[in-house]
Amino acid sequence: MRKEGPVAFGLICGLVVIIVTYFSAPALAKVKGELDQWYLIATAFAVAVGLVNLAQIHMRKINQKKEGWGYSIVLMVGMVGFLLFGMTVSSAGDPKFQWMYNTTVVPMNATMYSILVFYIASAAYRSFRIKTGEAAVLLIAAVIVMLGRVTIGEMISAMIPKWTSWIMNVPNTAGMRGVTIGATLGGISQALRVLIGIERGHLGGVE
Amino acid sequence: MSFWEKAQQLDRRIIYTVMIVILCAAIMRPVGLAISVNKETQMAYDAIDKLPAGSIVWLGCDFSAGGMPELIPTLQSVMIQGFRKNLRFVAGGMWNMAGNMAEVAWTAVSPMFPEKKYGIDFVNVGYKAGGNVLLEKMVSDTHAAFVGVDHYGKPLKDLPLMNEFKSFKDCKFIFGFFTGTPGERDYIKFVGGPLGVPIASSCVAVSVPETMPFVQSGQLVGLVGGMRGAAEYEVLVKVPGRATAGMDAQAFAHLVIILFIVVGNIGYFVTKGKSGKTT
Repeated sequence: MRKEGPVAFGLICGLVVIIVTYFSAPALAKVKGELDQWYLIATAFAVAVGLVNLAQIHMRKINQKKEGWGYSIVLMVGMVGFLLFGMTVSSAGDPKFQWMYNTTVVPMNATMYSILVFYIASAAYRSFRIKTGEAAVLLIAAVIVMLGRVTIGEMISAMIPKWTSWIMNVPNTAGMRGVTIGATLGGISQALRVLIGIERGHLGGVE
Repeated sequence: MSFWEKAQQLDRRIIYTVMIVILCAAIMRPVGLAISVNKETQMAYDAIDKLPAGSIVWLGCDFSAGGMPELIPTLQSVMIQGFRKNLRFVAGGMWNMAGNMAEVAWTAVSPMFPEKKYGIDFVNVGYKAGGNVLLEKMVSDTHAAFVGVDHYGKPLKDLPLMNEFKSFKDCKFIFGFFTGTPGERDYIKFVGGPLGVPIASSCVAVSVPETMPFVQSGQLVGLVGGMRGAAEYEVLVKVPGRATAGMDAQAFAHLVIILFIVVGNIGYFVTKGKSGKTT
């Protein structure tokens, strides 16, 4: 029962969701609504689990004074500070909480993405080498799209935006469509494996 | 060591410095390159333009601060276009910065329309955990999905607009702003497909290739891609902003990266040729 119980429960819940999604079943729709609420609550608890895990990792690092333990202190101060202050305010829109969030998390998040341009420039110069015919095709397409997606492409030639549009609408869309369909079929296959109990990794080591 | 061999070992700090100088110069001294409008951006603009006055539009702010330069200008432009047409907006999303992003846009746009009031013409319901399950819940009951309060903790029942927007069935259009997952696919799966609500998307430039198939299939009625798309939308609403200002910098950054690729490959072929001759 220790193995079969969770699998059976998962199968029943999965079947409820599938039936309600594709057929009209008012009685089961109420059950699905309840399952959705459980999911939302579980997601919130998953955040709490992540918090505890992060705290364990970084506290261990601080205690053992491993390399970079100073940054772990900064992380713990920020995490605990936000958590404690957040619990004292009535909503995420509280002006003081918003001020803390907008002056720390938002600029840091934006900065992480902003520095990518320098890594791309460095990688473009040091690593992008035309060693094969395919790499040459990739380079030519990349140059056309890079020029076509900015205003300077039209200044160089009126054909660049047209070629860019063709690359995006024809070979790119065809390839992405294939990838999307393939990934979706893989996802359906994986979901079926979980539902019927072939895949049991989510059960936490139950054989 | 020859010039090209030394060039292959170029310190990356020199590359970073060149990029910083180019970007700063382009931002401080913009050239003002002309911006033409792509078909997909025009489709999104026209779809909003066709909506009757008073229609409720859901603004899905499903992005984080990393997407702000590319998506906030579009969000603001859509709100400007919508307020001119007396559309009403409800903003929120599945990402934890949804409320903040909506607030940034409302704070920037509301002074241009002092007659538009929070609670009547615009509501920010913010973020709740749950991802696409939140979307599913919104299909039947938005108030329950957001636990009855908006981003600022105000009860939704006290906001006149929310008494008309009880679920996605009450909105005429969805304009989503995405930087990843959950994103437009979830809206298409759970809202656009089942309810037939038209969806337009604004996404970061790296997501444009994977989103194009949905535009071709008609599951998205328009696509505003990256900062270029945002600049195009600013041209359409005739309110140039940060996207327009950033296009020059992006253009020169792309040119510099192409130059780096070309120079790097010239050096590669020259040094490869020399080592081939000496062996």
